[in-house]
Amino acid sequence: MFPWNYGFHFGPASVIFLGAFYTVLVVVATTILNALWRSHGDLSKGRVENIRWHSDFHDLSAADRTCRHVLTGEFQSRECPNAFDCRECGTHAKLIALHPPLAAAEDEAEIFGMSFPLDRMYHRGHTWARPEADGTVTVGLDDLGSRLLGAPDAVDLPGIGSRVQANGTAFRIRKREADVRVLSPVDGEVVETGGVDRGFFLRVKPLDGLMDMRHLLRDAEVKPWLMRELERLQLALTMEGASVPSLADGGVPVADIAAAYPKTDWDAVCGEMFLEP
Amino acid sequence: MDREFITRGVRRCSTPRFLLWLSPWVAMLLFGAYCAGLCLVKGLNQTNMDNRYAFGLWIFIDLTIIALGAGAFFTGFLLYIMKFKELKAVINSAVVIGLVCYSGAMAALMVDVGQPLRAWFTFWYPNVHSMLTEVTFCISCYLAVLFIEYLPIVLKNRKLRDIPSFLVFEFELHKLIYVLAGVGTFLSFFHQGSLGGLYGVLRGRPFAFREGFFVWPSTFFLFIISAAAVGPSFLILTTWLVEKITGKRLAKDRVFLLLARISGILLSVYVLAKTVDTLIWINRTSPGLGFTASQYYDWKPFGTWILFAEIVLCGLLPALILLTPRLRAQRAWLIPAAALACCGVALNRYVQTVQTLALPTLSFDKFLSYTPSWQETGTFLGVLAYGVLVYSFSFRYFQIFPEERELKIQVRPQQEEEPVLAGRF
Repeated sequence: MFPWNYGFHFGPASVIFLGAFYTVLVVVATTILNALWRSHGDLSKGRVENIRWHSDFHDLSAADRTCRHVLTGEFQSRECPNAFDCRECGTHAKLIALHPPLAAAEDEAEIFGMSFPLDRMYHRGHTWARPEADGTVTVGLDDLGSRLLGAPDAVDLPGIGSRVQANGTAFRIRKREADVRVLSPVDGEVVETGGVDRGFFLRVKPLDGLMDMRHLLRDAEVKPWLMRELERLQLALTMEGASVPSLADGGVPVADIAAAYPKTDWDAVCGEMFLEP
Repeated sequence: MDREFITRGVRRCSTPRFLLWLSPWVAMLLFGAYCAGLCLVKGLNQTNMDNRYAFGLWIFIDLTIIALGAGAFFTGFLLYIMKFKELKAVINSAVVIGLVCYSGAMAALMVDVGQPLRAWFTFWYPNVHSMLTEVTFCISCYLAVLFIEYLPIVLKNRKLRDIPSFLVFEFELHKLIYVLAGVGTFLSFFHQGSLGGLYGVLRGRPFAFREGFFVWPSTFFLFIISAAAVGPSFLILTTWLVEKITGKRLAKDRVFLLLARISGILLSVYVLAKTVDTLIWINRTSPGLGFTASQYYDWKPFGTWILFAEIVLCGLLPALILLTPRLRAQRAWLIPAAALACCGVALNRYVQTVQTLALPTLSFDKFLSYTPSWQETGTFLGVLAYGVLVYSFSFRYFQIFPEERELKIQVRPQQEEEPVLAGRF
């Protein structure tokens, strides 16, 4: 094993065999130490929420990772390579420069009986962000998200002064057996918390005075995204054993969809819709 | 009770039912532990092995499960190095199977070697000229690699990933998993070969002795190819078995077909290599050592049927089935073919271990027969129970088959009736 061991002889066999063995040990140990070192760095730099989202995004089905430009018909198919953070995406910047988003007509603020006001931007995890006159941004659940959770059993909001980051956890909501984290649409410091009754959940102040919201859906992008979300909801409900009417049947989502499906695994449905696989 | 530990969106049986499933396996494990304890405390006189019959049931089982567990290294190699993305659907299962097979084999070896308190001697005073030393080093290292590969699967558990340090470590370790897959492939490649080489260098046992290339006898290469060939077949078999037991679809058909194609190609290469090797052995190697091949097959029950079963029935036949697209697309053909391939490798390891030792080589030798004692059988059953328990826990609490949830929709036989509420869309 070692030159100082009893019976050890230096020779080609020892050198080749023990050399290979020690190389393997060194590679394995280096890999583990490297992972530990990187983990330490991530923890000390507060990258946990970022990593949680990247891990969740990686586990989403390919259909759920679709690029926003597929929704608007600019691509036939494309998976988002940036975990829905279009601020880092060169393709998005080019496409926006070539085809600036079209303004939506006023009547598009109501889609399938749900209210999607055009004064705000939407995150694909069913939250919205509305810039306020004082420079803060209000964050709330969009209408489909609200209908999925109905009257929540519990809401776990972050404390005032804590920081949220785009695609990180904004707050947690419990409804029946579902316990979901809701993704934050923006980066910033929480300056006020709301609740279901107040129509918003958080008011966030930008960290460096500017709020970059290029990654959020807006205007004419909202309707095609929502149509796809309704398809996803149908699929999620079907997967969980619910008999789901088709859109062709007409009607609008009820205010508390969970109550309409009492036997369905609501944790799984919410996990699917709030992008937490 | 344990719902919050179970992956979101998958269905598992109730906790009492799960405990009921575990109970016979726990009983078997306890019996196995008692048998192993007897062998460790009282010695190998508890077995039916002796100085002539030094390898028995345990070594045969070790060689077999190590070959079957090769799916772990080979699937990892195909996914992370060769970029066969479809295999992501079964890689976790392959890792669990590999871990179970290798740790089970190590446990059985520990009982066989005895003196566990001196186990470190083999590492501290290695005989670098012995293939067995290479096997010990490679299997120990690879088992460590498998534990590390298993770690992200455990840490990905829904409850455990709520702990930030676990989440981050799992994420960072997963990013480096291709390094471990590469190391695992290197180690597996060599120890599968060394296990085969172990028999091929037995000049005093003409039945096993083989010529080869440089220092490696042909069995070195045959063991590697056969393990790589049946690894995917065993993965097909276990996935199908778990699907049958749980009543769920766990992987898409294209994954089964890809594994079948890979297994079929490698199995046909193995059959070809084995045939050439057997012909050389019959016509040159064995006569050169003073034996005609027919002498080996005079001793019943080891007739020539065993050679036919190994090469044709459990080699060529499954290879042809797995290589034929129309046949491998049907489960009725695919599963028996995969089972035959696995039986083939088990038969090969049995022949190498048991038949080699049973045959007389010197004029005063007798044909030996051997039946394992109940303590040996009990220890093996303990290893089997351990494997089932680890796999059962892993299947229940970890995401072993990532496509399971997606496939759920396709197996539901009858939609449950929901109350129709006015106003649903």
